[in-house]
Amino acid sequence: MSATWSRLAAARARPPASTPTRGLLPRLWSHPSGRTGLILGGLLLAFALIGTVWTPHEPNWPDYAVALRAPDTEYLLGTDDTGRDLLSRLMEGAHRSLGAALLVLGGVFAVGLVYGTVSGLAGGWADIVMMRLADVMMSLPGLVLAFAVIGILGPGFLNLLVALIVADWAWYARLARSMAIGSRNRPDVIAARMAGVPGWRIVSSHILPGLALHLGVVASLALGSTVGAISGLSFLGLGVQPPLAEWGAMLSDARLFFSVAPWLLWGPAVMIFLSVLSANLISNGLRDILAVEGRR
Amino acid sequence: MIRSTLRRLAQAGLTALAASLLVWAMLPLAPGDPAYRILKSQAPEHEPYPAEIAELRADMGLDRPLPVQYLAWLGRVVQGDLGTSWRTGQPVSDEIARRLPATLSLLGLALVVSVSVALLLALISAAFRDRWPDKIIRAYAQIGAALPTFLFGLLALQYVVVGAGVGKVLSGGALGMALLPALIIGVDRAAGWTQLLRASLIDAMNSGYAHMSRARGSRPWRTLLIHALPNAALPFLTAIGVSVGALLGGSPIIEDLFTWPGLGSYTLSALAARDFPVIQAFVLVSALLYVAASLAIDLAAIAIDPRLREARA
Repeated sequence: MSATWSRLAAARARPPASTPTRGLLPRLWSHPSGRTGLILGGLLLAFALIGTVWTPHEPNWPDYAVALRAPDTEYLLGTDDTGRDLLSRLMEGAHRSLGAALLVLGGVFAVGLVYGTVSGLAGGWADIVMMRLADVMMSLPGLVLAFAVIGILGPGFLNLLVALIVADWAWYARLARSMAIGSRNRPDVIAARMAGVPGWRIVSSHILPGLALHLGVVASLALGSTVGAISGLSFLGLGVQPPLAEWGAMLSDARLFFSVAPWLLWGPAVMIFLSVLSANLISNGLRDILAVEGRR
Repeated sequence: MIRSTLRRLAQAGLTALAASLLVWAMLPLAPGDPAYRILKSQAPEHEPYPAEIAELRADMGLDRPLPVQYLAWLGRVVQGDLGTSWRTGQPVSDEIARRLPATLSLLGLALVVSVSVALLLALISAAFRDRWPDKIIRAYAQIGAALPTFLFGLLALQYVVVGAGVGKVLSGGALGMALLPALIIGVDRAAGWTQLLRASLIDAMNSGYAHMSRARGSRPWRTLLIHALPNAALPFLTAIGVSVGALLGGSPIIEDLFTWPGLGSYTLSALAARDFPVIQAFVLVSALLYVAASLAIDLAAIAIDPRLREARA
C-alpha cells in the first residue's frame, strides 16, 4: 500500500497528460487492488451472464414441498419460504442488480455528457440558464431527489433507474461542461478551427472522444455506491416487483425468516458486498493510475 | 471574513428558494389530475363526479396560473403550513413536528459517532503507517466501504440485537434508544471517511511544514495533531457535508430498518400511497436541513482556512 501512495503522489505531481487512458486495462491489471477488483468483477459478470441462460433450478416457480430447506447437495444455498432455490435466484437476479447499476451510470454519463458539452460550447445565456438548473438539482441530496422522483412516477424498476439518473446527472454535466470549456482553447482544437474544419467535426472528433473517456472513467468510480443505492431502494420495495429476483428485494424477503433460515440473508448480502467491493477496488486502482477524483 | 460569511449566507438563501421551487414543481410535474387523485385516495371505491373534481380544483387553486400557485404555496409554507395529507386529511406539519426530533436525534448521533470513529482511526492509522494497527484499520475501512449502510445495519441488527439479545429492535424514538442504531450507522459510515482522512493526513505528514516541525525536534504525535490534522481536516469537513445529505436521503431506508418513528418511515409509507404533500414535505425539510448543514460546514471551513476568506472576498 505504501507503494500505492507513493505512486499516487507521483501521479499528482505529473502534469496532466493529454490522454492518460492508453493501455488502461493492462495498467489496472498491474495495480494490486485493481487486479483483485478486475478478477472479482469478472467472476461476478460471468455469474450474472450464466444466470441469464442457465440456473440449477427454476428461479421463480414456487415448490412448497421443499420450502425453507437448509443448504444441502441438491440446493447448494438452500431454498426460500416458497421453495425456490436461492442460488438460482441469486444467479437470475444478478443481471438485474448489476445491469441496473450499469444502466444508471450509462444514463448519468450520457445525459451529463450531452448537457454539459452543449452548455459549455454554447456559452452565453444558454450556458448560464442550463448551469443554474444543474445547480438547483445539485442543491438537493441525491437520494432525496431519487425519492422525489419515485414519488412522482411511483415505484417500479424502470422508475428507480430514472430516479437515480435524475439524482446524479447534474454533477456529471458540470464536469463535462468545465472540460468542454477547457478544450475550446486546446492547441489541436485551435489548429483545426484555423484549418477550416467545420464546427460539428471539431466537436465530434477533437473534443468529444477525450471528454467522453474521462467522464466515463469518473462515472465508473461511482459503480460501488450505485450498486448500494439500487439494492437499498429495492430493499424498500421501490425497485423490482415480485416475483422477479433482485438482491436487495431478496434481502427484504429474507428478514421475515431470519430466525429459521439465516442462509436467505447471507446469499444476497454476500453478493452485494462482493459487487461493491469489486467496484471499490477497481475505483481505487483507477484513482491511483489516472489521479482522477469521482463523486464521494 | 464578514463579507465572505454574508456572501455565503445569501447564497444559502437563494439555494433554499430554488429548492422550494423544485419541491413545489413535483405536483404539476406528476401525471394525472391532483384533485382526482385526492378524491380517489380518500374514497377508493367511489368514482368522483366531474362537479366534485371541479370544486376541489377551485378550492386548491389549481385553476390559477402556475406562478400564482407557486407563490401561494410558498406563502403557506413560510407560515409553517405544509398542506394536509391526502390519505388522512391531517395537517402534514403536525406529523413532521412530531417526527422530526426522532430523525434528528438518530442522524445527529450517528454523525457524531462516525466523525469520532473516523478521526480516531485515521489518526492511529497515519501514526502507525504500514504497521499492524494501520493494516487492521485499512481492512476495516475497505470492508465497511463495501457494505452499504442498510446491509451492515441489517446484519448487525439480526446478529447483535436479535441474536445476542443486546438492545431492542422496536425503538421508541427517544434519544437513549437512538444510541444502538446510531452506533451501527456511524461505524459503517466512518469507513469511507477513515480512508479519506488517512490519505490526507499522510499527504500532510509528507509536506514541507511537517518535515520542518520534525526537524525542529517535535514528537511525531505532536506534528500529527498540531500541524497535519488542521491541514488535513478541510477535505474531511467537505465529506461530512456531503454525508449529511446521504444520511438524510438514506433516512427512509435506515428508519425502516430500525422501525424508527421518524421522518423517513413517514415518507416511506407515503411513497407507496403517492401521498404528495407528505413526500413534498420530506423533500423540503431534507433540502433545508442539507442547505443549513452545508452552510455550517462552509462557515467552519472559512473559519479554519484563511485562504478561503481571501479567495472569496
